[in-house]
Amino acid sequence: MIELRAVSKVYSGQSAPAVDNLSMTVEKGETCVLVGPSGCGKSTTLRMINRMIEPTAGTILIDNQDIRQSDPDKLRMNIGYVIQQIGLLPHRTVAENIAIVPRLHGWPKDRIKTRVDELLKLIGLDPEETRHKFPSQLSGGQMQRIGVARAMAVDPPVMLMDEPFGAVDPIARNHLQDEFLRLQKEMKKTICFVTHDINEAIKMGDRIAIFSAGRLVQYGMPQEILSSPANDFVSDFIGYDRVVKMLSLFNVENVARRTFCTAGKSELTNVAVKMGDAGADTCFLLDEGGRPAGFTTLEDIEKHGADPESIRQIAAGRKEAFVQETILLRDALSLMLELDTEQLGVMDGSRITGVISLRDIRKHAGKKEGE
Amino acid sequence: MEYINYIQRNTGLMTEYAQNHFSLVLAAIIISLLLWVPVGVLITRNEKWAARVLNIANTIFCIPSLSLFAVMVTIPALGLGRRSALVALVLYAMMPLVRNVYQGVKGVDKTVIEAARGMGMGPFRILWEIQLPLATPVIFAGFRITVVMTTGIAAIATYIGERNLGRLIAEGLTRFNVEMIVVGALFIAIIAIALDSILGLIEKRIVPRGLRIGRG
Repeated sequence: MIELRAVSKVYSGQSAPAVDNLSMTVEKGETCVLVGPSGCGKSTTLRMINRMIEPTAGTILIDNQDIRQSDPDKLRMNIGYVIQQIGLLPHRTVAENIAIVPRLHGWPKDRIKTRVDELLKLIGLDPEETRHKFPSQLSGGQMQRIGVARAMAVDPPVMLMDEPFGAVDPIARNHLQDEFLRLQKEMKKTICFVTHDINEAIKMGDRIAIFSAGRLVQYGMPQEILSSPANDFVSDFIGYDRVVKMLSLFNVENVARRTFCTAGKSELTNVAVKMGDAGADTCFLLDEGGRPAGFTTLEDIEKHGADPESIRQIAAGRKEAFVQETILLRDALSLMLELDTEQLGVMDGSRITGVISLRDIRKHAGKKEGE
Repeated sequence: MEYINYIQRNTGLMTEYAQNHFSLVLAAIIISLLLWVPVGVLITRNEKWAARVLNIANTIFCIPSLSLFAVMVTIPALGLGRRSALVALVLYAMMPLVRNVYQGVKGVDKTVIEAARGMGMGPFRILWEIQLPLATPVIFAGFRITVVMTTGIAAIATYIGERNLGRLIAEGLTRFNVEMIVVGALFIAIIAIALDSILGLIEKRIVPRGLRIGRG
């Protein structure tokens, strides 16, 4: 757990403090994202936690211990630190780079070797191939991953990350973010993450701290911040698409309706009856292989009649209108717009598990707004 | 050819001169390294001192060699001979060595040092394991310049009593003996070029592997 009490940083020669009387707590096992425009004090705050910068006033405690009580080097040996430019030692191999902190701790050689291989595998790189390479032989994405692995070498409970995925292209960044989220689910480290990208903050953070000109403006869970921004600055910072952004906090499975029925080609005439029996308003049409080949709804039948041919035609038009449970509501919305449909079938792998409509999404978004 | 004759006739003398030349240069280089490399490293810690020291080095470097040697001789503790020559040569070596050590260490990528600090490496470890190894190319280049320069300027020490290859040029000029002048100048040049080439080969070897290997 990281606690900041009335922390301030003033640089000599500047009238405005870089960080102004900041108090906040990052709970154990949580990822707290510090976000804000350039110069808002988020990086300065981060670097005070591991004493790279000393505060002008206030106290910082990690696990209830004042960080000033430890020798700065020893403190940093137990905190993972990842920076945007990564900073791998260019004259050392990947293995030697990752081994830096274990060596500082005095680990024996074989323990270090095992740990290096373990970490390389964890971040998705082949130890045999990568271990002996030099940073100049690696791609940006690989270097960034190794930077993260290096920070985790001694499995520190706390990690500080300053725009760690900033130096790569958006596709690689997405992958790195997903991988890191996956790792964090298992590791449950206490993480302080700095970014200037509100989307990254929403994706990565359990809680988001929004900074402006050295002050903490709002601190809360992504949902809270998106549904109730504290002031105009926060609203503007989040952007016009605030509500759509909220949709990226939820998966289809949070919203899908589970009652439906299925019908094979031969049962087209009985579709309405089947729906009535199941209490559903959607019926999935299956092809010969039993796979979904479209669906029809009660509304369609009311509008266009129940004759098999029209049902089949409507259903056929929806052949592509299926999504996996795990995709974000926002992406489901995008697919609806793309296919010009208001309904999507929901699957888990190749199994039909439900249906989701535009109305469902709107209701969900509306619910969060009003809360 | 008269020149080859000259060399054959005076082999003993030339050997003595060459040995003196080498020993002077060697002694000067060793002392310079032991003295100026630590100074270069120390001034990286303090910008004010860095400016002062580099200024001094630059100023000394601008003094014409003959004048510096002559002035050394007038200092009671030094007098004619090797001691003055050594002091002067070591003073000349200050500029290339201190400057290159300073720039080499300062020039190391700051983000690498930030990352190292953030991991808990202390300042001495960072100096020893990161800054010096990464500064080696620049430091070695300074060393190479120093060797070549010292070989040349050592010849002038002949005017304050050293019996080295410079003597061939000096006496050759006095007596207007063209062979002496040419042989003297040639030999000093050959030695300087040979040393430079050897150091050039070594320089290629000592660049840290990681910096040599490019994207595969």
